[in-house]
Amino acid sequence: MSTRLSIMSFAHLHADFYATAIGELDDVELVGVWDDNPRRGEEAAAKYDTRFFPTVEELFAPENEIQGAIVTSENVHHKRDVLAAAEAGVDVLCEKPISVSVADARVMIDTCEDAGVQLMIAFPCRYSPTFRRLEEIIEGEELGEIVAIKSTNRGQNPGGWFNDPELAGGGTVIDHTVHVVDMIRTLLGEEVVKVYAEIDTVFKPDLPCDDAGVLTMNLEGGCVATLDASWSRPDNYPIWGDVTMTLIGTGGNATVDLFVEHIDTWHEDADTYLWEPYGHDANVGLIADFADSVETGAPVPITGTDGLKAMEVALGAYRSSENGEPVGLPLT
Amino acid sequence: MLSVAICGAGGLGTRHAENFEQIPDTEVALVHDVVESAAIELAEATGARVARAEEEIFDDDIDIVVIATPTPDHAYYAIKAADAGKHVFCEKPLSRTLEQAREVLDAVETAGVTFMVGHVVRFFPQYARAHDLIVSGEIGEVGVAFTSRINTMPTGRGNWFQDYALSGGVTLDMTIHDFDWLLWTFGPAERVYSVGAPEKMPLLDYGLTTIRFERGAIAYAEGSWADVGTFRTSFDIAGSNGLLRHDSTQVSTLTVQRREGEEAHAGVQVPESPAERSPYLIEDEHFVRCVLTGEEPPVSGEEAFDSLALALAAVESNEAGGKLVEL
Repeated sequence: MSTRLSIMSFAHLHADFYATAIGELDDVELVGVWDDNPRRGEEAAAKYDTRFFPTVEELFAPENEIQGAIVTSENVHHKRDVLAAAEAGVDVLCEKPISVSVADARVMIDTCEDAGVQLMIAFPCRYSPTFRRLEEIIEGEELGEIVAIKSTNRGQNPGGWFNDPELAGGGTVIDHTVHVVDMIRTLLGEEVVKVYAEIDTVFKPDLPCDDAGVLTMNLEGGCVATLDASWSRPDNYPIWGDVTMTLIGTGGNATVDLFVEHIDTWHEDADTYLWEPYGHDANVGLIADFADSVETGAPVPITGTDGLKAMEVALGAYRSSENGEPVGLPLT
Repeated sequence: MLSVAICGAGGLGTRHAENFEQIPDTEVALVHDVVESAAIELAEATGARVARAEEEIFDDDIDIVVIATPTPDHAYYAIKAADAGKHVFCEKPLSRTLEQAREVLDAVETAGVTFMVGHVVRFFPQYARAHDLIVSGEIGEVGVAFTSRINTMPTGRGNWFQDYALSGGVTLDMTIHDFDWLLWTFGPAERVYSVGAPEKMPLLDYGLTTIRFERGAIAYAEGSWADVGTFRTSFDIAGSNGLLRHDSTQVSTLTVQRREGEEAHAGVQVPESPAERSPYLIEDEHFVRCVLTGEEPPVSGEEAFDSLALALAAVESNEAGGKLVEL
């Protein structure tokens, strides 16, 4: 008997990653897809050889026996879809960022708790073997105390609704802050207590949202960190972007480049060369863990609070940029 | 022939002495160092004489004074040299404080001598080319610029670099190279925010500085004296119409491996990119040309002042544990 999962909306391109990861796992099944854009949902259902349901009620109908939902709608709709899953008594894996406001995230966390369903946030970087190895190194105190971190999560502008603040809750900073903040929180076991940010719209001048953001953060134990969260990679860049970290410790340093494994690839008919990535697909580990929690009731390894804390740094960064001064966290 | 006095016979003093010996219009006549053995060693290598007293630097037969002492002494020597009518080449940073820097620039202006500060990064071909590409609009409006400069903690005489009251730490002593390049390329800075961790690593230093430029660009600069590898630099400059990226570890034209020791695999690997003329030589040639022609040096005193002001603002922000400093 396999674990029966569903996907709510293919608005976020990560839905394809998760559908592919489900296909990689023997004991997990994609039972159905719902999408508020029926055409997109039907196409996805056909692509992944599953059924499309035009309404949430039909998706969660008792005969489908759906145990878990993966929410990959536009950021602002995460709340709507997570609450619908909670109402149906279905565990949820929610795409990052958890939401676009602290209040909405709290409602999502509380509603899931009251409904007795689990809420997990999709931070697949935690499942990278490189990140796991880094955790070991830091836990083993091989680097001593981590005192400074320089990090990047730069990328190409994904376009579409990601550029619509009404749907995304911001631009690049809400999109690209949370992965690395979650990694830093996980590595250090500490919260960000202060954030300063320079944020602007520069790469695509008529964009209705930000596309450049450099954050400086203070962790509660004294570590300092910068994060370049900009959509600063050109459209013809050889890969979508990067996740990198340089960690400076009292006993040593480490540099991480999570997506550097690649083969340089040239095609005669392309205007650039491309990085052909290879190596581990962290999404498989993410989905496997979610499915395991759904099946066994084991606590999800990445909680709604983890999602809230990461999002709060992004929201703090926006406030810092608006006010022109550092902002203390948690937000008040 | 212009006679050069080298003031400070450490690593950079030695490098400049070699350059001025090589440049046809100059010769090294005098070496001064508070540590006489260092002065003697460099004097013997260049065929110059050792100053018996500091005052000899300012004698009539000297045309150019090269200042390569620890940072806090720059202003003292520069002002005395300018007052004595010498042309002055001063290593970066211009001085330890802005007050000193202003006194130096006043002395230089009054004396009417040529004055240049060793912001040598402008003469590194990759930085010069990147500057030209950006200024010519090749990548459109720059949004986010990243620079990185990474080294082990420099030793220096008496470990003076490790005394931040003297050196200003990595941010004032080394990241100032990138600050200068950024100001040269993007124009005036508006505000700066810098963090680091010096108190937790007393023998190491690391700084992360974010700068907002008046014309809009956001820059962040990494400076490390906490590394165990070889010196390296990189930049990543993203604009509305393209991206420039350079990593010194990726562009070595020559790598030599030397077998050492008993083990078959033991040895060292040293990458390099040999150049016909080093950036330091190009820098010194520019200076000499300006001395001869009276042209304004490619790094003006005011530009060096602005680079110092930015670096000191970063240090101030850093020491306050992250504070926004307006420029």
